[in-house]
Amino acid sequence: MNEDLHQRAQRLLAESLVEGIAASDQAWLGQHLRGCADCAREAAATQEALQALRGVPVTVPRDLVARTQLRVRLRAQEAGESSRSGMLLWVITAASWLLGVLSAPLVWRGFAWFGGHFGVPRLALEMGFVLWWTVPALVAAAAVLYQRGVAQGFAGQRSQRDSKAPH
Amino acid sequence: MTDDKQTIALGLRRRDPDVLDQLIEQYQQRLYRYLLFLTGNPALAEDFFQETWVRILERGEQYNAKSKFESWLFAIARNLVIDASRRKKFASLEDFADPETQQPFEPPDLHATSALQLLLSRENQQAVQISLLRIPAYYREVLVLRFHEELGLEEIAAVLAAPISTVKSRLYRGLAALKSVLTEGAA
Repeated sequence: MNEDLHQRAQRLLAESLVEGIAASDQAWLGQHLRGCADCAREAAATQEALQALRGVPVTVPRDLVARTQLRVRLRAQEAGESSRSGMLLWVITAASWLLGVLSAPLVWRGFAWFGGHFGVPRLALEMGFVLWWTVPALVAAAAVLYQRGVAQGFAGQRSQRDSKAPH
Repeated sequence: MTDDKQTIALGLRRRDPDVLDQLIEQYQQRLYRYLLFLTGNPALAEDFFQETWVRILERGEQYNAKSKFESWLFAIARNLVIDASRRKKFASLEDFADPETQQPFEPPDLHATSALQLLLSRENQQAVQISLLRIPAYYREVLVLRFHEELGLEEIAAVLAAPISTVKSRLYRGLAALKSVLTEGAA
């Protein structure tokens, strides 16, 4: 038999497993394998190899699933708490901003009265008014940054701990 | 099937612990087997198993239900293994192979008789199965995805984030390597 035919059979054997072959190629391969002992042996060896691969016994360690479920639940709880405290901060910030906007005319009147009564220059009054508006926002921003810093610190510590953990 | 994917995506977006419990239960065997084939080390496979599910919880909203859940799961597990291997100065799965000898990478505790080898040796086909560990990790990986998990070429390509041509070539070489180590093992 022609050497090219054997090569074709080997190629089709591999292709049939990896990407599939056309029905006509399948028919040709079947016919070739029936008449060629070497290629039939090769096909059998390939099937045995795949059976060996599929036959590797893999047993999931006892309680791995339970341990993983517990760890995931704890992490979910941790993330939920962090998300709730973040949400609370945003609500407080929004309420503070809204109150600031609503009370601005009254506050300005108060500043004007204070300035008129004590003779404070207008520039100082305006600066005081600007600070009245910006200080709460700056405090809120500082709180958010602090919270993120703390969270990243924890994450960093955890990652260091994980990398040191014995495998 | 689409409904399943949508349900999973919804549960992951909500970080629903019950959905995650169910998924961990459902995919335990497949994920553990993939990680065991990939790392060749039961202790590492256990660690990565847990890490994978924590990552799934944290990045659950990224699952868009367009692809199979298992493809996404394996991709996340694989990325974790690669990240860990980079931290240990291996650039990629390709570098699991020793560049000097081109022998597959073996973690230090596999130099003697590894736990996986012990596990396998309890079975009748011990010689055949131990010889599977001699196949490089990047071939073992595609072989298990194709012939155990029965993923399609496109799905494997998505897990590996590699072109289909790479997947095919690894499968062909992996099959040849598999036959070769089994022939040697039998000899």
